[in-house]
Amino acid sequence: MSQNNFLLQVRDLKKYFYKEGIFSSDKKPIRAVDGISFSIRKGETLGLVGESGCGKTTAGKSILRLIEPSAGQIFLKGQDILHLNREALRVLRRHMQFIFQDPYESLNPRMKVGEIVGEGLEVHRIARGKEKSQRVSELLERVGLHPQDAQRYPHEFSGGQRQRIGIARAVSLNPELIVADEPVSALDVSIQAQILNLLMDLRDQLGLTYIFISHDLRVVKHISDRIAVMYMGKIVEMANGEDLFRRPLHPYTQVLLNAIPKMDPSKRREEALMKEEARAILSDQLCLFQPRCPHSREKCQIEEPLLLDKGEDHFVACHFVSTMTS
Amino acid sequence: MKNPLLEIRSLSTHFFTEEGVVRAVENVSFEINPGEILSLVGESGCGKSVTGLSILRLIPSPPGRIVSGEILFDGINLVQLKEREMEKIRGNDISMIFQEPMTSLNPVFTIGDQIMEAIIFHQRLGKAEARERAIEMLDRVRIQAPEIKVDAYPHQLSGGMRQRAMIAMALSCQPKLLIADEPTTALDVTIQSQVLNLLREIQREMGMSVMLITHDLGVVAEIADRVAIMYAGRIMEYGPIDAIFSQVRHPYTKGLLDSIPQLREKKQRLDAIPGQVPDPMNLPVGCKFHPRCYLMIEECKKAEPPLVQVNGDHFSRCIRWKECC
Repeated sequence: MSQNNFLLQVRDLKKYFYKEGIFSSDKKPIRAVDGISFSIRKGETLGLVGESGCGKTTAGKSILRLIEPSAGQIFLKGQDILHLNREALRVLRRHMQFIFQDPYESLNPRMKVGEIVGEGLEVHRIARGKEKSQRVSELLERVGLHPQDAQRYPHEFSGGQRQRIGIARAVSLNPELIVADEPVSALDVSIQAQILNLLMDLRDQLGLTYIFISHDLRVVKHISDRIAVMYMGKIVEMANGEDLFRRPLHPYTQVLLNAIPKMDPSKRREEALMKEEARAILSDQLCLFQPRCPHSREKCQIEEPLLLDKGEDHFVACHFVSTMTS
Repeated sequence: MKNPLLEIRSLSTHFFTEEGVVRAVENVSFEINPGEILSLVGESGCGKSVTGLSILRLIPSPPGRIVSGEILFDGINLVQLKEREMEKIRGNDISMIFQEPMTSLNPVFTIGDQIMEAIIFHQRLGKAEARERAIEMLDRVRIQAPEIKVDAYPHQLSGGMRQRAMIAMALSCQPKLLIADEPTTALDVTIQSQVLNLLREIQREMGMSVMLITHDLGVVAEIADRVAIMYAGRIMEYGPIDAIFSQVRHPYTKGLLDSIPQLREKKQRLDAIPGQVPDPMNLPVGCKFHPRCYLMIEECKKAEPPLVQVNGDHFSRCIRWKECC
């Protein structure tokens, strides 16, 4: 296979949910993720941003096959992980890990921290007994906890420390790819900064590759090399982080960036510039953002815009990019 | 100087639990002038919500109790009022909106019913008139087709619309003071910006005062006139919005600001505040922030510093405020 350069390649990934009801004959699926494609190099961090319901978490879980995708291809180091059998997938799981948003719900309350962090080592037959506890101690120190914390239970820790435990678990198997889903969103501001620093340190020390999912654009900008903006299951814009913030091309990205509160009281903005939310989308052949778009024109209702490279690896899905200036 | 609408003097609210006493709010004083937005900012457990609930006398008792201090609203000390007198003020002169509109709205009543309840109770209007008022309020918070939405149930509205409905309900009796507890925290950023704009517009139109409780300094920068930064039940810094953002005079405030990633410059690491918020039942002696503070000296461990005047109406609870900026 010739996927050599990229650690991960995702092609036309789809995840549809069907309503299941005894009386419902509704065949129309909810298109949580609707044909997204991107590639990530080793050591790179891709930020996945968007508002609630845009499909970013579903995308992240589908990529690791924590939920089964409906269609598409996912290559990790050139191996198509959607066509692996159970055993092959189990082996590959070592290389891809997930960090959850809620440090309170993602740790088993009945397990000691040492068991939580060391579980993977045992399952994958990497270390047991003394060697395992030695590894667990190292991992705990690496994420800023004490080796003695292995003997304690999750409830004895604060939110920030629990997220450290979750991170120690995620890196315990020396993975290559980590999907982090809103890892700092439930934390206080001062703790957020500590965890972001930790994630960035680990990336440098262990050569990790991240897919960093968040609704917080400041946080995503800080940690990501490239950023993909999602809207209703699709990527509408993808570019280098600095570039995206300097010249957002998609009208939705522009609205989104504009809505970030400025940390400067002298630069207050008086108007929000997006039309009210419109839920019902009927036709398939249109731009999904069109009902809310300030620049919407006739073409947007007839033809779906494709995600195209507008130069310098800056991808946008909008018919009128060249005619709009922000 | 105008008389303040709300004046809080040395308020302390404690919770008497089996494990010990939690001094959630300790000796807090501040004031809110007519027509201004004061923001109470801090991280979880700092006492900002308890302060808001104390003003409305909604502290669950037991275990909680306002142990000392005065809350002067329009010259009346709310701490001394009987529950029946307080009921006339709650939802009428002072109302409150909460973070999660889905849990604060009753799912089995329509939006209209819930707005009308307060109007009928406080303003003694008939049902038809109250319904008119409810529709008028929904229109005022920019809900489209208010005469239809008035009969909608909360689950039929989106998160942003529910928060607007909550605001309509809170404003239906034209309160003098609105206490907004994390009103946009559960909302997406584009919806947050709409709701903040709405709050500010309505606040100006009605000339009411707002006490905005939040953890988000970005929201504060967008909307507040003055700010009180809280930590471990105390006010650490207190002053006009511009002073707080451009001339920080407390290491904790500075730490909070430095913890937020900047959009303009790319920094490798954030200057995070080390450590974590202290256990409320086991607060450090002296300055409550000293174990995490980069300016800490021996003196900070001995006595709690007073809130000192930096200049004008800018105050800091730090003995080394001159070195902090």
